[in-house]
Amino acid sequence: MSILSIESLFVRYGGITALNGVSVEVRQGETVLLIGSNGAGKSSLINAVTGLVSTSGGRILFEGRDLAGIPSAARSRLGIGYSPEGRRVFRSLTVRENVLSSTLGLSRAAAEENFAWACSIFPLLAERAGQPANQLSGGEQQIVALARAVSTLPKLLLLDEPFLGLAPVWIDRISDAIRELQRRGTTILMTEQMARPALKLVDRAYVMRGGEVRRSGDVAEIREEALAEEYL
Amino acid sequence: MAPDRHRDFWLDLWGMALLLPLLAMPLLFKDPFILSLTYQFAIGVAASLSVYVMLRMGLLSFTVPAFMAVGGYAAAMLAKSGVTEIMALMLASFVLPMIFAVPLGLLVLKLKGLYFIFITFIFNEILQLIIFETPKLTGGSDGVVGVPAATFLGADLGVPWRQVFATVAVCLIASVIAFAASHRYRAEFTSIEENETLAESLGVAVWKYRMIGYIVSAGVAGLAGLALVNMLGTAHPSSFASWSVNNYIAYVFVGGRGTVLGVVVGSYLLIYMTNVFNAYAHLSAGLFGLLLIAVMMAAPGGVVGTAVKLFGGFRADKGDAPRPAPAGGAA
Ligand SMILES: Nc1ncnc2c1ncn2[C@@H]1O[C@H](COP(=O)(O)OP(=O)(O)O)[C@@H](O)[C@H]1O
Ligand SMILES: [Mg+2]
Repeated sequence: MSILSIESLFVRYGGITALNGVSVEVRQGETVLLIGSNGAGKSSLINAVTGLVSTSGGRILFEGRDLAGIPSAARSRLGIGYSPEGRRVFRSLTVRENVLSSTLGLSRAAAEENFAWACSIFPLLAERAGQPANQLSGGEQQIVALARAVSTLPKLLLLDEPFLGLAPVWIDRISDAIRELQRRGTTILMTEQMARPALKLVDRAYVMRGGEVRRSGDVAEIREEALAEEYL
Repeated sequence: MAPDRHRDFWLDLWGMALLLPLLAMPLLFKDPFILSLTYQFAIGVAASLSVYVMLRMGLLSFTVPAFMAVGGYAAAMLAKSGVTEIMALMLASFVLPMIFAVPLGLLVLKLKGLYFIFITFIFNEILQLIIFETPKLTGGSDGVVGVPAATFLGADLGVPWRQVFATVAVCLIASVIAFAASHRYRAEFTSIEENETLAESLGVAVWKYRMIGYIVSAGVAGLAGLALVNMLGTAHPSSFASWSVNNYIAYVFVGGRGTVLGVVVGSYLLIYMTNVFNAYAHLSAGLFGLLLIAVMMAAPGGVVGTAVKLFGGFRADKGDAPRPAPAGGAA
């Protein structure tokens, strides 16, 4: 069953068309990759799902429900977790406050439980709990952003370029964390420019360019057919 | 809970601690200048904490004098009608502005930046207009005069030292409320200040917390208004003039908008300087302006914010696990 269906979506910023009729499906339990270089429209698609950008055509169905008109905060409560491009942690909040900032509506007890859950996936959080996020390295901040997104136990996790600007050792650690989330049954839609590490993590991929999907299919197909010449 | 209590909490607590000596002043001193400074400090801190609460969300609210007026007039009218018990007056001047804040908040809290500032400022002007146009109710341009002294469980608070003590106590309670609210909602307010859209996309009901902040800010200002009326014995429109908010905002920015300590230090510093400059009445406005510019140029984070930046490095990690060198992570 599809948890997310995006049907010929259009996003425009003034005169610029960032998405030109894009369709993407994410099924329960799978990890799907949107791959493409800078400006391909990956973030626009993710942000259309979170409600941060408005669409000018097409539909987004989450669990069969049209998201049109549902404000951003409410989408999060429907079960959409979001880790933004460039991490964007709240700099003056502590690690723990950052992780819990996505569960502010919840009772303290429930929030504690979610934090404990996040710590079981990302042990780093427990060590750093009281530290302001602006003292963390980029990789650590990415872990915080991931934990913040999953501490609500989302039905669908949106990861916008989790490897951006990270050294290889951190790409490996983030990959491990994503695998751990997959083991726990998380459904993920992620974007990346870096094909090599990203393709190791996913079931299917869409190749995007110029606001359109150029190719899509299983990882094996994508790797062989398209990416050899374009991205690898 | 310990991990949440980082440096800001202790700085805020220090700010609260700096307020306690004000309570002792009327017990220790009879000098009118000292007593006058004491109640000016107390009221200034309470009023600027009302600004501070909203600034914690990145919103510069100019509605403070109007909420002070609602609280002050409510107390004055209540006292004139025979209810002089300070607890009852406090309740009225705390709750009434909060009720006013709900419809005003609905009007204004979706606005941003300059629009927000402008409309919140207009509220002051509208309230002044209402006061002048309703002489039967508010005394119009004469204000509510001859307000009887407040009482505490039957004890008369009209004696000068008690009057100052009660004023300080009211402001202290207002400050505790502002402090408590800004800590209860620390994560919410900070996430909204740092990145409102991101907070929204993570499920933070931004609008709800703005409303909570505005309501708290109104209640705190209302208590400051009561304190002022209690000190002056009248509720006069000029006590709540729109421009007075500039002072409160100046206290917050000069002291440092990030912490309660900053608000307290800024209020003490500027109120003291104002009293000194008043001796040179013809120069005072200009001197005050120069001081403001000098502080903001030398210390853009305010006195406390800049001090923390300069000297805070040593203590920033206190109590946390030692941090290994970042392992290859690039920002
Ligand atoms: N806020 C914006 N205003 C105007 N143009 C934008 C905005 N955000 C993105 N774009 C444009 O939309 C296109 C797609 O951008 P984006 O979705 O960020 O791509 P990607 O995430 O794949 O790098 C680009 O041409 C970009 O310049
Ligand atoms: Mg992007």
